[in-house]
Amino acid sequence: MSGGPGLSHTAAMILQAISAGYVYGYTVMEVTGLPSGTVYPALRRMERDELIVSHWERQSAADAALRPARKYYGITRRGINSLDAARKRYPLLGKLTPAREAQQA
Amino acid sequence: MNREWLPAAMLRAASLIAPGVQRAEWFREWRTELFYVPRNEAVQFCLGAFQDAAWLRKNRETTESGLLHPVSPMRCLATMAVLSAVSLLAASLLPARDLAPYWQLRMRDLLTGCVVMLPMSSLVLLAARLAMGGPAGPAVVSWRSRNRSGLYFLLKVILAQPLMLCGMVLMLRAGTAPLAPLSVGASWILLFRWILLDQRRRCPVCLRPLTHPVRIGTPSETFLEWYGAESMCERGHGLMHVPEAETSFGKREWLKLDSSWSGLFAGATEEKLR
Repeated sequence: MSGGPGLSHTAAMILQAISAGYVYGYTVMEVTGLPSGTVYPALRRMERDELIVSHWERQSAADAALRPARKYYGITRRGINSLDAARKRYPLLGKLTPAREAQQA
Repeated sequence: MNREWLPAAMLRAASLIAPGVQRAEWFREWRTELFYVPRNEAVQFCLGAFQDAAWLRKNRETTESGLLHPVSPMRCLATMAVLSAVSLLAASLLPARDLAPYWQLRMRDLLTGCVVMLPMSSLVLLAARLAMGGPAGPAVVSWRSRNRSGLYFLLKVILAQPLMLCGMVLMLRAGTAPLAPLSVGASWILLFRWILLDQRRRCPVCLRPLTHPVRIGTPSETFLEWYGAESMCERGHGLMHVPEAETSFGKREWLKLDSSWSGLFAGATEEKLR
């Protein structure tokens, strides 16, 4: 999964979801319809391959919203290039995930 | 029946599969995600945690661990114990050659041989250790940690004896005259070398391997400036500075980090939670 052409359809869907603003694990699951046992290992694999990066939300922001701090994922330059290549390979990819404004990190 | 405890129990059980250093952060992420999952989907959601933890374990093992570099000291000793037991069994069960029936050794003979070899091996290793230099930063490492490190070293030496003795027996049985003694000598040297190097590659506090080595300085500065590599303990106990060329003014040095640094290390969080 190091380059664009090698991106599987599942990985491309997840990358597309993150690119569309679904930036934490459960929303990626919801929008792609994939089970948790697929989404989370895929997120880790893509993070290892530097297609995405993750960071924890500040605790103060989470406390203000009365919920636990989330781990957010963001797409990297390499991930964008891979996604562009995947969109050419899977033309309907963009239509699978509705665009959503990126959540505050 | 109230089943709210079930997802939490499933996550806790799955966390045991995740590697120890990453466990705290892994568990935190899954617990956070569980907060957003509807109750009727929670159990199904948590089933994925087992797959995720297994992926993490597999990925970590293939990249960072191995037979020669087991991550935890207990795992290293357990590996050595298993290898020693297997070698003792192999040496005691193999049939004797017709020409040399005295090579048929019983388990008790082999164990006695190990006890006899132990002082000799200890002397050789002690001499090698003194030649390589003492432990880095003895002043900043507590007595408790130093004792634990010494005990770990001693246990490795003890567990190496059956490997050395049984290896010698097996090689002498299988090999021809000039090659077999050379192989025995070479394998003993390699084993001694591994015991010493493994000790130097570990954190003097928790005995886990030092990771993420980075080069500091430039080769042209070996004389007037420090040049070498810096490795860190994943649990945030400190940094090991290893100079490229050891001199009287530039030796291996352990830089202890206090608890204020623990937020930067995932392993330190894990240790706190224990």
